[in-house]
Amino acid sequence: MSLLGKRFKLIEDFDQSTEGSYELLPARFAVLDDSRYILSNDVGEFLVISRTQLSDYIKKKVSRHSDFYFDLKSKSFLIDADSNVAIDLLALKYRTKAQQISRFTALHLFVVTLRCDYTCQYCQVSRQTDDKNAYDMSEETANKALDLVFKSPSPAIKIEFQGGEPLLNFKLIQYIVATAKEINLVHHKDLQFVITTNLSLLNDEVLAFCIEHNICLSTSLDGPENLHNANRPRPKQNGYQLTVDGIKKAQLVLGNDKIGALMTTTEKSLPNVKSIIDTYLENNLNCIFLRPLSPYGFAVKTKQAYKYDVDRWFEFYKEGLDYVLEINKQGFKFVELYTELIINKLFSPFSTGYVDLQSPSGAGISAIVYNYDGDVYASDEARMLAEMEDTKFRLGNVHTDSYEDIILSDVLLDTLEASLSESIPMCTDCGFLPYCGTDPIYHYATQGDVVGNKALSGFCSKNMKIFRHVISLLEDDPEARKILLSWVRT
Amino acid sequence: MNEDVITFDANVFSLDTIKRALYRFTDKGTFDIQVKDNIISVQVQFKAPDDWASKIKNEVLDQDLRDTLSKETTNIRTLILANAFSNTGLID
Repeated sequence: MSLLGKRFKLIEDFDQSTEGSYELLPARFAVLDDSRYILSNDVGEFLVISRTQLSDYIKKKVSRHSDFYFDLKSKSFLIDADSNVAIDLLALKYRTKAQQISRFTALHLFVVTLRCDYTCQYCQVSRQTDDKNAYDMSEETANKALDLVFKSPSPAIKIEFQGGEPLLNFKLIQYIVATAKEINLVHHKDLQFVITTNLSLLNDEVLAFCIEHNICLSTSLDGPENLHNANRPRPKQNGYQLTVDGIKKAQLVLGNDKIGALMTTTEKSLPNVKSIIDTYLENNLNCIFLRPLSPYGFAVKTKQAYKYDVDRWFEFYKEGLDYVLEINKQGFKFVELYTELIINKLFSPFSTGYVDLQSPSGAGISAIVYNYDGDVYASDEARMLAEMEDTKFRLGNVHTDSYEDIILSDVLLDTLEASLSESIPMCTDCGFLPYCGTDPIYHYATQGDVVGNKALSGFCSKNMKIFRHVISLLEDDPEARKILLSWVRT
Repeated sequence: MNEDVITFDANVFSLDTIKRALYRFTDKGTFDIQVKDNIISVQVQFKAPDDWASKIKNEVLDQDLRDTLSKETTNIRTLILANAFSNTGLID
């Protein structure tokens, strides 16, 4: 016995567990690749293990002296006579993850006009008209919508102005911001504003207003000039120039952190992911969101959404993420936002608040849409669906329905009930469940059913591919792991 | 159409386990399940050729493990959820 051993008992002396006597804690698993599985629990702790390890764990054959046993114990996959603290820890983490549900709707989208100066093929909602009365929100409708906004129990409220092109109804934006701030003198909420704009109408008056009220701008940048202008045609074919000029101006006046851009992937985008990312870098944008086209609205009517499948989109995403990691390896921090969301779901107990990756779905309870005519929708996608004359997810109208009517409507409650991944076939025992969600509106749009068959689901297929790819990178590429872990928000 | 018949011993695998496994292949083909003399027979019709029998058998093994895991942890999951939402007014 060593000198240390004479003074202190050995670790084994404190170990009260006995071989095979551990108790399993709730867990799920999924195939990662040909030789590995991911084992996860309700709070998102995970281990990548072999089939033999998986079988040994469930059949309680894991040796209590093995490293694997301690991995299982430290990640709350088992308890033994030595300690059952994992039960309290799991409860605490679960409560933290679910906390967002109790806060309820934080994001309120105001569609202040459907009018737009662009003629994008895939756009679901825009109208080319000078008739302001037909497609602009009125002050009366805005007032009614604001009444509903401040009934949300969320301590943080973000009002996002959408269109069409919302700056075509800038006067109403000014009115809503002023009125919301006045109402908030009573409510004291953390109130923020975002204008989602193509920037073609950005001028000094708008910028001064943004500075005064600390308003952020969100725009669309689909890639280099030829691609952007092809995806987002404008009568003078100068959309790209107006957008990058607007980004520069906003960065200069408001600051780089006050303007962000989103891109939409069309068939033309697929071979061009590197040049799309280069365009973001050239415009001093430090992140990109590689998004597939949604199967709603005009994207369906013009058959844009079906021109490429999930496999082709995934190749686009993978090539893009490889390139983003390469950029980071060269010392420049540049983030792919969907991957960042997943990394945070894998390593943080806090909810990301991303509507599509939540259980229950964030429709209505994380974000809600007030259309120009006062109609209220569970999400922007629900509004797009309504533009195809399917109003299944219309929750009510601000002029005729109360907050309680809207939030307790059968439409919303039935949708939420159908979006609990924990009770959906295939999701219920999937190892990726803690990181995923189920988008009821996507499944309704593609399969005619809010639950849908996940074996046929593009949503499921896309997310499983991404989860497997990101987790494999974390496991197999130490340099990529280091970069990806630096994206975890603290 | 590629047809095959896969059989399972009902003393080893439950019908529920086999149904859960097959559900995951509903994008690949269709299934006709019959049970006779403790033998579960699955007549399969796949849209494209592949080694589907092996893949289904492996998935059945996974589903069998999932069944064990789920049955053994149901009570403790309820306990954890009750603990998580205590004092929130959401449960009695």
